[in-house]
Amino acid sequence: MSSIQKAIVAGVIATFAAPALADGHLSLEGKTIGVAVVGTQHFWDREAFNGATSTVEELGGTVVPVDGGRDNQVHADNHDILLNNGVDAVISILGDGAVEPKFEALQEAGIPVFTVDHPSPFAINNTTSDNYYMGTTIGRYMADAIGGEGKVAVFNAFEGALRICGIRTGLWKYVLQDYPNIEIIQPELAEEFANAPENARIQTLDLLSQYPEGELDAIHVGCWDQPAIGVVQALEETGRTDVLVTALDGGPDTLEIMAEDGSPFVANVAQQPNVIGSTSAMNVARHFAGEELLPQTYVDVVPVNGQAEAIAAYEQLGYGSLE
Amino acid sequence: MQADAQGRRFLLELFGFLPVIIFAGVLVYISFNAPNFVTLRNLELIVMQSLPVVLVCAGLAAVVMAGGDDVVSGGIDLSIPATAVLSAGITAQMLSLGYPLLFCAAAALAASTVVGVLNALLVTRIQMTPLLTTLAMFVAVVGANNVVTASRRINVDHPWIIALRAQDVGGVPLGIVVVALVVAAAFFLLHQTRWGLNLQAAGGSRDAAEISGLNVNRFIDQSFLLAAFTGFICGFFILARGSGSSPGVQDNLMLEMVLATFLGAAFSPRRVVTMWGAVLGALLVAAISIGFKSMGVNLFWTGLIKGSLIVLVVAFSAISQRAR
Repeated sequence: MSSIQKAIVAGVIATFAAPALADGHLSLEGKTIGVAVVGTQHFWDREAFNGATSTVEELGGTVVPVDGGRDNQVHADNHDILLNNGVDAVISILGDGAVEPKFEALQEAGIPVFTVDHPSPFAINNTTSDNYYMGTTIGRYMADAIGGEGKVAVFNAFEGALRICGIRTGLWKYVLQDYPNIEIIQPELAEEFANAPENARIQTLDLLSQYPEGELDAIHVGCWDQPAIGVVQALEETGRTDVLVTALDGGPDTLEIMAEDGSPFVANVAQQPNVIGSTSAMNVARHFAGEELLPQTYVDVVPVNGQAEAIAAYEQLGYGSLE
Repeated sequence: MQADAQGRRFLLELFGFLPVIIFAGVLVYISFNAPNFVTLRNLELIVMQSLPVVLVCAGLAAVVMAGGDDVVSGGIDLSIPATAVLSAGITAQMLSLGYPLLFCAAAALAASTVVGVLNALLVTRIQMTPLLTTLAMFVAVVGANNVVTASRRINVDHPWIIALRAQDVGGVPLGIVVVALVVAAAFFLLHQTRWGLNLQAAGGSRDAAEISGLNVNRFIDQSFLLAAFTGFICGFFILARGSGSSPGVQDNLMLEMVLATFLGAAFSPRRVVTMWGAVLGALLVAAISIGFKSMGVNLFWTGLIKGSLIVLVVAFSAISQRAR
């Protein structure tokens, strides 16, 4: 990791390590906050949820939690329950277009909605990573890793369904426009939302038999990192050391894979889901304190290029030590 | 001795009522602890959220009634939620390509019918086990839907479909009215007509039905077609509640369908699957889910609590049935 990146990580941690202290005047005393999360199986979702709920409680509020079980429809329906429950505000984490009519109903009922990773016209504020930086950075890292030329397969189920994925994958493609010798294999692959690693493993095995040794240079996961776990498994099963893997999110599970010797997983951009959830809860408190919020709050990300940086990021993001 | 036998019978009767008592108890507990639980609006919410499950439960009930209620060898159709998702996927995809709604619906109906016919052929002609046949069909149909939708979410804003969620008819949401009509029609067909009574006889005892001259396979075929039809209708409710089709809806729907239908049997006096039992089961599962969520029960516990409750209810039902 370069010294600039180290400085970024250090700065990020210093800024967000103790958010409650930094904004000591904020309070959610006497408020009931609904926290709707699309699922709790994946690290990212769970951490964003934990960050939001623990901060609401630290600020004196009561949490009404609802979990969509990685089903976007159940997640959307859960907002009806929060509406009926009469909560004071809702923090909604992820979700696809199915939540929009629910946000509209909440807004009509005078319940402010705060989103995480889901920009919406019916929300007061969306807290998210700097998705623009994520998309372009992973584009550059991947292009460099394959020497600026070759064939790339992409798992891209959500570019059209989730705005954050539209930004990340869109900008990845934007960077690749300047690499005329990199070809994106068509049709693009679509990973499952609920059972992503296993589903991606099977799709990768099919892909590898379609593109024998030397005909495929990289597999990129456009918006997150869970499918990459299955992609790496498939590469290891088939012994295909010629194919590199890149993805986004950088949860501890994928940083661990990157940290292994000779790992095909070479680049990632790590997010800070706990800080994102916590920041959203702070924004709810700021709203109730009468502060004017910007429509988007961006939380910094940590680019991870190669094994050494994965080991460093793992430690710096507080996941433990890999050495 | 007689007193002993009487006491034993009383105890078993009591066991038979325990499912109802447990559910009533949990609902009373929730209503005291969850804000706004006993309100008309919450009742509407419970009914609205359970509409897709109610529809597929009605279809499953028909198949179980025709094929018998042995879970392994009797009638079952696990593919209905997949048919529903396929119906939603085809409609959404074709709408997004600019086809008129009725044309899209006709295509979805045709595809759903194919699923029903295939199930019927495999079960009654090739004599495969319904459980395995329809489970395999579930996987295949979900796969077909992944091809149709490319596993992606498709937004739908057709006013007729949104009306199922948003439109009121005399103060009652249109969706509830439509499902009530479908369920009432299915109830009438299965419980009030000669055809329905024959179908039930076929499921009750295959041998007896055949001896009295009924063509049992024909009723099983028809029940699979009816089930596919409920899946077709359900597709539109899936589209309505989420303004489009999102991948992955089928798994939860299948789980809730099976739970609600067989939970419903625990509430019926003879412990058999009935249309009303299935509908009631679907509503109760939704009520309890919503109740726990409104109470703010810790997320990581809800599944365990819900699952345990259902096991408990079905176990008591089984004990009281075996004793008869």
